[in-house]
Amino acid sequence: MIDDAIEFLEPYTYLIIGSVKALVIAGALLGIVPLLVWLERRLMGRFQVRLGPNRVGPFGLGQPISDSIKLLFKESIIQGSADKFLFHLAPAIVVFTAIVTFAVIPFGDPITVMDQEIGLWAANVDIGLLFVFAISGMGIYGMVLAGFSSNNKYSLMGGLRSSAQMISYELTLGLAALSVIVLTGSLSLIDMVNSQDSYPNILIQPLAFLLFFIAGVAETNRAPFDLPEAEQELVAGFHTEYTGMKFAMFFMGEYINMVTMSALVTLLFLGGWNSYGIPVWPIIAFAGKVGFLLCVFIWLRSTYPRIRYDRLMTFGWKVLVPLSLLNLLVTSVFVVL
Amino acid sequence: MFEFDLFELTRDTVTMAVGFTAVLASLGVILCSAPVYCALYLISNMICLALLFLLYNAEFIAAVQIIVYAGAVMILFLFIIALLGGKKEVQESSAQRSMAFTFVITMLGELFLAATVGPTKPIEGGFDPQTVAQVGGSAKAIGLELFSRHLVPFELASGLLLVAAVGIICLAKFSYAPVRRRTR
Repeated sequence: MIDDAIEFLEPYTYLIIGSVKALVIAGALLGIVPLLVWLERRLMGRFQVRLGPNRVGPFGLGQPISDSIKLLFKESIIQGSADKFLFHLAPAIVVFTAIVTFAVIPFGDPITVMDQEIGLWAANVDIGLLFVFAISGMGIYGMVLAGFSSNNKYSLMGGLRSSAQMISYELTLGLAALSVIVLTGSLSLIDMVNSQDSYPNILIQPLAFLLFFIAGVAETNRAPFDLPEAEQELVAGFHTEYTGMKFAMFFMGEYINMVTMSALVTLLFLGGWNSYGIPVWPIIAFAGKVGFLLCVFIWLRSTYPRIRYDRLMTFGWKVLVPLSLLNLLVTSVFVVL
Repeated sequence: MFEFDLFELTRDTVTMAVGFTAVLASLGVILCSAPVYCALYLISNMICLALLFLLYNAEFIAAVQIIVYAGAVMILFLFIIALLGGKKEVQESSAQRSMAFTFVITMLGELFLAATVGPTKPIEGGFDPQTVAQVGGSAKAIGLELFSRHLVPFELASGLLLVAAVGIICLAKFSYAPVRRRTR
């Protein structure tokens, strides 16, 4: 019986490996969220010359655990005027899209375990970068639906702001990435990393790197671009009415998106897992670069005040888009010559 | 004891399920009375179409379908619905209903005609997975096809879109000078 089953499953090993990889990556992403919350609170504390959480466990490491337990046991309140189905659907969309986006992110060369070559990625599709943009674009629906279904003016404003902002900055994001695509000649993220084995793209595309990073911060709704949830004007924007774990799911989505965006910047501009002569494992090199970028995200949040909404739009459409178009033009000319 | 091909079976099941969901979703678009849910059904229909493209190895088209239609176009629909407040529609006149019935019967007639005339013909010079892989991915295959054989129609289409965009701006232009806000 068992032998039969093993014999039958033999040609489908890749399916089993794929499922295991998907589970591991999704689990790791969910596990990294409390760690990031801790890191952000500690670092923010340091930036603002205070201590940050330091009571629960060593260095306050127990704080995220106690926070998540608190959130899990909180009463879930839904006001009567809300659209129940969409109210439940919205946070699920945010977390789902955030996790699925990470599926095409590679984080190392393939390794060999028991005569099986295992690539350190969930899926190697030849349109890798387009997949990331497609799925992360779907994530906007989570915020718009959350704002709409709450039946609350502040939430609605937050939802509308998020959709307008993310569509505007997605343009810059795509155009900046297009310069790298033109350089590499491939949409696959693995090809992009392999093409940077002698020097990282940031050296020849500094402007594209800057544009991509700014647009990436805006895409993840992080400060100074966190207008959808501006607490001084919109109370908390699209998640005003959410409580308990559903409230926490929006933050899970945001932190996972932060990780994905840092990973994308690393793959496109910082050379991925190439360590350029420093003797570390490829995966450590990759994780180090991503970790550094995550710290930059937090650093930005505690340094810059939130910018005004009309300035955000002007900045996006009148500065970033023309600059990225110009950059793309120059890059294409150089590639053709 | 296991005699079937697991891969083929899974693939067929998934294809059928996605196709069925697409039909259900498109029925939802026309049968649902709340505009937000109509828009959501339309989005899910587009996602199902993208999944079908994906199942037939057209990855690039699938991604573009999601980015352009499900991502960009439908978010604007939802934006407008959210701005106007999606109240449930009330069925008003019976004239619209009879028009709708006429439309449905015409469509059914066309379907019947298409079924009796013969099976749909495959597109000339069809791409199978081997040729696509030889060229180097679906994105490259489409790019080569689009910018070599179909260059003129492609450029004409982009010209048409440009005219449409300019036309919209002309139609929607304010007749008075808009109040200028100082932006910097």
